[in-house]
Amino acid sequence: MSGPKALQQPLSLRFFSGAFLTFWCLLAAFPIFWIAVMSFKAPVDAFAGNPLDVILGPMTRAGGDGLTLIDVVVGIAMLYGAVQVATRALPKLVAIDTPWSNEILRWLIASAAFAIGFVLVFFGLLPPILNAANSALGLEPVIGLTTVHYQAVWVENAFWRNFVNSLIVTVGVVTVSLTVGTLAGYALARSGSQLAFWILIIALIFRALPHSVLVAGYLPVFVNSAAILEPILGENAPTLYGQPLAVIAVLVSINQPFTIWMLRSFFMSIPAELDEAARVDGCTHFQAFRWVIMPVMWPGVITTGLFSFLLAYNDFLVTSLLLDASNQTMVPAIAGYFNRETTTTDQVEAVAAAVSITAPLFLLVMIFQRQIVSGLTAGAVKG
Amino acid sequence: MKNLLLASAMSIGAVMAASSAAHADCAIQNDTELSSLTAGFEAWKSVTDAMAECGNFSAELDQEFRTKQPAAFAANPSLYQIGGVSNGTITPLLNEGTIRPLDDLVAAYGQDLSPNQLIRIDGQIMAVAMMVNTQHLMFRQDIFDDLGLDVPTTWDEVIIAAEAIQEAGVVEYPLGGTMKAGWNIAQEFNNMFLGFGGTFVNDDGTPNVNTDAGVNALEMMARLTEFMDPEYLVSDSTYVQQQFQQGTIAMANLWASRAAAMDNPDESQVVGLVNTASAPMAVDGGAPATTLWWDGIVIASNITDEEAEAAFQVALEGIDTDMVTENNEDAIWLIAGYQPNRLAEGAIATATSNPAPQSYPSSTEMGLMHTALGNQLPAFFTGELSAEETLEAIEAEYLTAAEEAGIL
Amino acid sequence: MKFRTFAAFVGPSIFLMLLFIAAPLVSVFTQSFYLTQPVVEIVTEEVCTPGFLTQTCTTETRSQPVLDEDGRVVRETTFVGLQSYRNVLEPQRAWEAVSNFDFRGLLAIDFWKALRFTLTFTLITLPLVIGVGLAIALAVNNAAKVVRGPVIFVSLLPFIITPVIGALSIRWLFVGEGILTRALEWYLERDIAMFAQGWTIELLMLFYRVWHVAPFAFVIFYAGLQTVNTDTVEAAIIDGASRWQRLWYIIIPHLMPLIVFVALIHLMDAYRVFEEIVGFSSQAHVISLQWLTYDFLQPDDSGNRAVSRASASAMLTMIGIVILLIPLLRKTWRDHRGVR
Repeated sequence: MSGPKALQQPLSLRFFSGAFLTFWCLLAAFPIFWIAVMSFKAPVDAFAGNPLDVILGPMTRAGGDGLTLIDVVVGIAMLYGAVQVATRALPKLVAIDTPWSNEILRWLIASAAFAIGFVLVFFGLLPPILNAANSALGLEPVIGLTTVHYQAVWVENAFWRNFVNSLIVTVGVVTVSLTVGTLAGYALARSGSQLAFWILIIALIFRALPHSVLVAGYLPVFVNSAAILEPILGENAPTLYGQPLAVIAVLVSINQPFTIWMLRSFFMSIPAELDEAARVDGCTHFQAFRWVIMPVMWPGVITTGLFSFLLAYNDFLVTSLLLDASNQTMVPAIAGYFNRETTTTDQVEAVAAAVSITAPLFLLVMIFQRQIVSGLTAGAVKG
Repeated sequence: MKNLLLASAMSIGAVMAASSAAHADCAIQNDTELSSLTAGFEAWKSVTDAMAECGNFSAELDQEFRTKQPAAFAANPSLYQIGGVSNGTITPLLNEGTIRPLDDLVAAYGQDLSPNQLIRIDGQIMAVAMMVNTQHLMFRQDIFDDLGLDVPTTWDEVIIAAEAIQEAGVVEYPLGGTMKAGWNIAQEFNNMFLGFGGTFVNDDGTPNVNTDAGVNALEMMARLTEFMDPEYLVSDSTYVQQQFQQGTIAMANLWASRAAAMDNPDESQVVGLVNTASAPMAVDGGAPATTLWWDGIVIASNITDEEAEAAFQVALEGIDTDMVTENNEDAIWLIAGYQPNRLAEGAIATATSNPAPQSYPSSTEMGLMHTALGNQLPAFFTGELSAEETLEAIEAEYLTAAEEAGIL
Repeated sequence: MKFRTFAAFVGPSIFLMLLFIAAPLVSVFTQSFYLTQPVVEIVTEEVCTPGFLTQTCTTETRSQPVLDEDGRVVRETTFVGLQSYRNVLEPQRAWEAVSNFDFRGLLAIDFWKALRFTLTFTLITLPLVIGVGLAIALAVNNAAKVVRGPVIFVSLLPFIITPVIGALSIRWLFVGEGILTRALEWYLERDIAMFAQGWTIELLMLFYRVWHVAPFAFVIFYAGLQTVNTDTVEAAIIDGASRWQRLWYIIIPHLMPLIVFVALIHLMDAYRVFEEIVGFSSQAHVISLQWLTYDFLQPDDSGNRAVSRASASAMLTMIGIVILLIPLLRKTWRDHRGVR
C-alpha cells in the first residue's frame, strides 16, 4: 500500500492497528503456548497455581531435568532458523520445476523432508551436543523441563500407532475427497442447468446437518455389515466397524458439500473459453478437463485440500465411534486419556499428546500459509 | 491388504511389547485369537496385561465401552470374546442375552475362584467379579488431628466438621464432591437417597423419588455444597482427586479406586496424610449413604464354545493371585492373596457395616432413572427449580423414557 | 454439457452423499414417527452380588426384554405420529409457561433451553466473527510486509488447532484456580469462579468460538482484500473520500460476497454447536440442540437409546437451520436467476 501520499496513514491509526494486531497475536498464541509449556513439566508444576512456577518448573528442576542458559539461546536460534527455512527457502525449492513431478508431489516431498530434518536436528543432533557443552561449562539448569511425558506417550503408550492411523485416514480422505470433488465441482461450475443448482442447494443443506444425527445411524449398520452385505458379497462380506476405509468414506461424504462448493467457485473463476476452445478442437469434456483445466487448478485444489485435511485430522465424533483401539486415530486416543479414571500424570501426558498432534498442523500452516492465501485470492471464495 | 498387514503387524508389536514388559508367567499357552473390551482404569490395565501374557490376546481399554459394548457383543460373531463390566453396565448385555452363563466353565476351570466372586442372576453365574468399589469418606488426618476433630460418621457430623475447618481457616472449601452434571451428580443423589431410606421405583415400574427421602436428600446435598468450591457442577472424580492432592480440600465422599493416588509422590502434596473411613450415614443408625459396586468379566454368547473355553481360561489368568500380588494397590480386589492396606480401611468398613449399603441395582428401571436424575438435578443446584419441582421433572422424564423403553 | 457427461462427473460425489447423508436422514425422518420398543416381561429373580467378604443375595422384581428362540430381543414397532415431537417440545407445558409470561418455566424444558442457547450463541458470535475477522484482515493489510507472514501464521493457529484441544486449552486457563482466573481475581480484587454460574460459562464459550473461527474469516477477507481494485480506491481518494468512506463504500461492498460466504458457513457451524458443551462441561447450565440430540442417543445404563426422541429433535434442529438459512438461500437463488 505504498504510493500516493494520501494513502499514507496517520500515526494514530498505525499505532492503533499495530496495537490491535499485537493484542490479537497474543490472544491467538497464548493458550497454545501455555499447553506447550505445561506438557514439559512435572505434574505438580503443570497444575501449579503460580504462573511463574508453571514456567520455571521448580519441582521439575528439583527432579534434575532442565534447560541451561545455553540450551535456551541455542534452541531459540535454531527454531528461528527452522521457521525461516520453512517459510522462505522451502517454497523457492518447490518452485523449481522438474519434468518428472507436479507441484503437489514436490510439496509433499519437501514437507516430509523438512519434518524429518526438523525431528533429526532437534531430537537427535542437538541434545548430545548441548549436554556436552553444558557439562564442559558446568552450567546448572535455570528452567525446569522434562520430556518424560512425551516418552511415555510415544514410546510406552505406542502413540505412533495412532499417528500412523491418523496418517492413513487423513491421506485417504484428502485424496478421495479431492478426486471426487474436483470432478463434481467442475461439472457443477460448467453446467448451468436447474439440476446443478438444486444439487448445490441440497448440498448446502447437507452441510448444515448436525453430525451426531448421521453418525449414530452408522454404528449398528457398520457393526452388522457382515450380515447385511452377505447376500450381495457372499462369504467375504466385511465387518466395516473398525475399518479405516469405512471411516474415510464417511468423512469424505460429510465433507463433500463443502468441497464441491469451494471447488465450484474456484472453477467458475477459470474462464470457460479455455475448455470450450479445447472442445472445439475435438476434445471430450473429460479430455478438456484433463489437459486444459487440471494444469491450472492446483492453487484452488491445494486450499480445498487443506480444509479436507483439517477436517479429517481433527475429527473426533466419527473416528471415536467407528474405529476400535487398534485403528484409533490421535484425537479420540487423546480424549481417552481424559475420560477414563485419570491421574494427574495421565492428564499431563494427555497435554503432551495434544501438543504432539498440534505440531504437524503447525508445520503445515508454516509451509502452506502463502498457498492458502493465494489459493483463496485466486478465486476459491468468490462466493 | 496393506492396511491389514499393517494392522496385524501393529497388534503383534503390541502383544510382544506387553508380554516383554511384564513377567511372562501365564500358566497356559493360548492359541485362539482373543480380544477384550473393558473400561480403562488402572485395575483393568493390570488385569488385561496379565491376560496378554498368555499370548494371542489383544485388549481394548476404552472409556466409551459403555456405548460400544452392547452393539459389539450383539454382532454375530461377537467382535470381542471377553468383556469387562460393572453392576452398572452389565444390564444391557443381560437384557439382550449377549453374554453366556458361565456355570459349566466355572465348574471346569474355576476351582480357585471364591464363591463371593460369582455373580448369580436367577441361579445362573453370569459374571465373575474381581474387585469391589464404593464411594466412602476420605479425609485429611493431619487437619482433623490439629483441630481435635473426630472422624464423622453421619453427614450432619460432616457439616459440623466442615464448619470447624472453615472457621479455623485451614482450607477455603473443606468439602469436595463429585457433583458434575450428568452421571456423577445422579450417583451422589443415589447415595443420599438410599441413605434416607428411599426406593427409586415401585414394583409396577412407576417412579418413586418425589418423596420425603428425595427432598431430604436434595436438601442435605444443598447444605453440603455450601462448603464446596462453587464450581462443583463441573467437578468429577479426577477433579476431586486433584483437589485432595493439591491440599485444597479436607474431606470428600470419593471412590475407593481413587485412594491410591493420594499416596503417589509424583502427584500428591499430601502423601500419607489422607485416611479413609466408612461412608457417612444420612440418618443415625441407618446404612452408610453409598452403594456397592463390583467390576468383573463376562464372556460373549455369539462365539463358539471352543473360543469361550479359551477366553474363560485366559480371563482367569488375568484375575489370578499372581496379578494381585503384583498390583495389590490398584483396587480392593476380591481375589485370594489381596492384602488390604491403610487406604482400603474405609472401603472395607463401608462394605461390612451393619446394616450394609445396597449394591447398585442392575436393572433397566435404574438405568432410566439414573439418566433422568443426571439430566434434571442440575436445575435444583443452579436455583432454577425448587426441590419438589426438580423431583417432579425427574419423574416426568423417567415416565417418558420408560414408556419409550416399553416398561410402562 | 450433456446430461450423460454431467452425470458421469458428479456421479461419485452424489453417490457418496446419498449413501452417507441422505439415507441416514431419511431413516431419521421415518424413525421420528415410529417407536421401536422391546417386548418386556416382568420377572422376579434372585440376584447375588459380592460384598467384601460374603455375598448378598436379594430377590428383585424387574422388567426384562423377551428373547426369541435365536436369542434376539423381540421388538415391535408402532406408528406414534407426532408423539415423539410432543415428548421433545412438551407443547402443553411450554404453552402454559408462555401464556403466564413465565420464561423461567419455559426454559426449564430441555428443548426450549437448548433452542434459546443455540440461537443466542449463533446470533451473537456471527457479527463478532465477521467484525473481528475483518478487523484483523484490515490490520494485517496495513502492517509492514515483513511482519505479515509471521502474523498470518500466528493468526491461523486458533483455527487449525483441533477443536477439542482448543476448547480444553482455554478451559484449563480458567477452571478452578486456573492462571487466568487468578489474573482476573487479582485485577478485579474479588473471588471469581468462572464455572460456577451459567452466564460466565456462556461467555467463555462465546469467546472460544470467536477465537476459533475469526481466523477463518480473517484469511478469507484478507484474500479478498488482495483483489481490491486500486484504481477505484485512488479515484475515491482524488474525490476526497475519507478513510471510513472508502472502507464503507468500496472495500465492504467488494468483500460482500465473502462476508455472505463466511456468514453462511458460520451460521451452519455455530448452529450445531457441540464441542463447547463437552469441552467446558456446561450441561448443568446451558445445552445446545445438537447436544440434546446426542444426549438422547447416548445409551443409558440399561442400554436404551431414545431413538425416536433423538430423531424428532434432529428433525426440529434441521427445520431450524433451514429457516435460518432462508435469507441466504434466497440470495443465492436470485443470483442464480440473475446469472441466467
